[in-house]
Amino acid sequence: MGSEKGLSKFLKSKMFTLLIILAALIIVFTVWSALLGKSFFTVDTLLSVVDLLVVTSFLAIGSGALLITGNMDLSVVSVGCVGGLFIVVAMKTWLLPWPVALIVTLVVCAAFGLINAVLVNEFNFQPFIATMATSSVFKGFQMLISWDAKTGAAQNFSYSNPFTKFLGTYELFGVIPFTVIIMIVAFIIYGVLLSKTKFGTTVYLVGGNPQAARLSGLNPKKASYILFANSAALSGFAGIVLAARTGQANQLALSSNMFTGLTAALLGGIAFGGGSGGMGGVFVGLLILNIFNKGMAIVNLDSYWAAAMQGVVLVVALSLDFSRAKKVTKIKKDTSQPEKIVETAGTGR
Amino acid sequence: MEQYLEFNGIGKAFPGVQALKDISFRVSGGKVMALIGENGAGKSTLLKILSGDLKSDEGTVSLSGKKMDFNAPCEALDAGISVIYQERQLIPSVSVMENIFAGNLPKTKLGLYDKKELKKQAKALIDKFGLPIEPTATVGLLPVAYQQMVEIMKAYRRNSTVIAFDEPTAPLTDKEIDILFNLIAQLKEEGKVVLYVSHRMPEIFKVTDEIVVLKDGRLVKTLNTAETNEADLIKAMVGRDIGDTYSNLRRNDKYGDVLLEVNNLNTHVISDISFKLRRGEIVGFAGLVGSGRTEVARALFGADPVLSGEVKIEGKTVHFKAPKDAIDNGIALCPEDRKEQGLILWRSIKDNVCMPVLGKLKKGLFMDEKAKEELALDAVKKYSIKTTNIDKTVMELSGGNQQKVILGRWTSEKIVTKILILDEPTKGIDVGTKAEIYQMICDFAKQGIGVIFISSELTEVINVADTIIVMHNGHITGQIGRQEATEENVLAMAMLD
Repeated sequence: MGSEKGLSKFLKSKMFTLLIILAALIIVFTVWSALLGKSFFTVDTLLSVVDLLVVTSFLAIGSGALLITGNMDLSVVSVGCVGGLFIVVAMKTWLLPWPVALIVTLVVCAAFGLINAVLVNEFNFQPFIATMATSSVFKGFQMLISWDAKTGAAQNFSYSNPFTKFLGTYELFGVIPFTVIIMIVAFIIYGVLLSKTKFGTTVYLVGGNPQAARLSGLNPKKASYILFANSAALSGFAGIVLAARTGQANQLALSSNMFTGLTAALLGGIAFGGGSGGMGGVFVGLLILNIFNKGMAIVNLDSYWAAAMQGVVLVVALSLDFSRAKKVTKIKKDTSQPEKIVETAGTGR
Repeated sequence: MEQYLEFNGIGKAFPGVQALKDISFRVSGGKVMALIGENGAGKSTLLKILSGDLKSDEGTVSLSGKKMDFNAPCEALDAGISVIYQERQLIPSVSVMENIFAGNLPKTKLGLYDKKELKKQAKALIDKFGLPIEPTATVGLLPVAYQQMVEIMKAYRRNSTVIAFDEPTAPLTDKEIDILFNLIAQLKEEGKVVLYVSHRMPEIFKVTDEIVVLKDGRLVKTLNTAETNEADLIKAMVGRDIGDTYSNLRRNDKYGDVLLEVNNLNTHVISDISFKLRRGEIVGFAGLVGSGRTEVARALFGADPVLSGEVKIEGKTVHFKAPKDAIDNGIALCPEDRKEQGLILWRSIKDNVCMPVLGKLKKGLFMDEKAKEELALDAVKKYSIKTTNIDKTVMELSGGNQQKVILGRWTSEKIVTKILILDEPTKGIDVGTKAEIYQMICDFAKQGIGVIFISSELTEVINVADTIIVMHNGHITGQIGRQEATEENVLAMAMLD
């Protein structure tokens, strides 16, 4: 009796499955590219993979933490785009100093997240529908702040100052980009927050069964509000980082990332219903997605094949998880059999 | 030819329970047969066998002399048997006429669905029953009673010979009940076989011709409605031997001062609830399903909004906005539906036990895993929860052990529980564990906890609780001590109309 520990627990974990998929991908692409006379497994490749996933990682952390509570946010890209535009407009047009601009931008984005939370918690909208709708509203807001009356269209801002230059291009020891460090720190902070603190434990319990959690004295609404705001603020930050890296802010920023964060979170083992998974899984999930894309680029596969294959990997990864869930359901069925039946016999109508 | 429905030696066993044994009776066409019995008597199992939902282990169902052997509900429907359950089986977003003719919509020559013809046929049917319903109305927007009528017309349209009603009047108002009874009279006139399951005595005497009484899965009596009375029926429903389980309980015999005082509590469902609970006392709440017992518990626990009334704990008036406030004041609730409201099935025993006291299991900023483990191990030991380790998900536990996890949650050393509310704690639990839980309830009382014990099983409430409060329709209809309580007098209060 006691806690299950050590190797056997790890071997049964979702993380183990993920690492195997990751290893398998690396092996496949190493062999494949070797056959084509190219090399895949190099420091350069790895660095570029990590570098690629920086922006989406903030989306994935936010979406992932929210998904643990069983909620979904489809407005991350819209909010992220607002983030990039807002900070540039704040510094360029309103001439705010960068710390103020940064904070105001994050607060505005978090407020957008709270709008989502209000719709979901107070008006009982499905998160899917609420955030799809607000996504469009936030798009309108992007238009508003980037509108150019002269041309009658939304404009593209090119902007750079010492702050964006530092954030976007500084590299520690000349190798590791500053944003990669921020990403790693963020993963560690959110990982610890979720797995070690009372708040984190609450998030999992609330996600597992909000009703039971509430009846045990926890506050599901509070967790939902915090994490919707958090998801939006992190999306905003992703937009800021992208603007800093590219020196551009426009309405198209992040537009290809609508589902990337969510996909990584799902791949990383956060179940759709909520209540499980963690930041480690999200990180490995992101790695898998990006290594796959990078590998596809190196072996020079046509992009339509790459897109199709990405779907296949996702289905395989999720079905591995599914077979696990099925196993548990089977156990559940076995143990609950006599009970359920007594109930049918016992309702006595 | 006269139509009739016959059950012959029906038996059905589930693991550990003989749900039905040797049920034989016959209902003739043009007669209404009541099917009565306590919760758990086997009425719903019998209806499920009739409707093809379940297969009987032994015995046969025959319709007008022809043996029936259904593998699925649709086969029973085709054979002319319709069971109308409380949960309506209509499509709410679709029109009345489409619901009535679902699965058999008239078609035009081109094979398209003929809306005109459909409307005509539906109108004819509605007029036949003299109902004020528009064929094109959306079912979901109709009053509950008319939804039920639509369901009956659906059964009628299928040319059903047998129509069984499962507590049809529960959601209806008096006026709506009259409409239903008229309809039943019409079905009777046409020689249909009508089965009528109900808990309500007055209406059984009003609509039925014969009565079958089930108890513990057996047929106790078949009676002619005209030749019996309410008291006899209740006696036939109850009359069982109460085993030693209850006489062996080690009870608490000393009560302390008043712990909880409730005065005129009202919510959307319950009205004017007043009672007192003393330290070490077990107050039982009896009543039929839906009588408002659970809602009393939820209101006291801050889970549902309270409209008016006063709740005092140890003499101090309290107002709870959320369950958390109630917990902080020493109230604990083991909810009715363990899986939906009590447990987080996918999480470990450890997490489920520690839920309400997470704040007390911290070490600095972080959770103290060691303390969590100790707390969970304590609960496992205290209640002998059968598991190999505390990281197992509660989903893998049996019903009895799941219930113990919830009890462990509210009785750990990190929490002060003064008032423990148990809502159907023995539901779906085997007999052995039930006795264990009764003893636990008495032990809680001995420790000075005030226990509120809600149960649909009359026998257990009146034998475990010190004071029994009976509810009906959101009101308290009676209060009685254990010494005076009998199943007859409590049931009479619970069925008061």
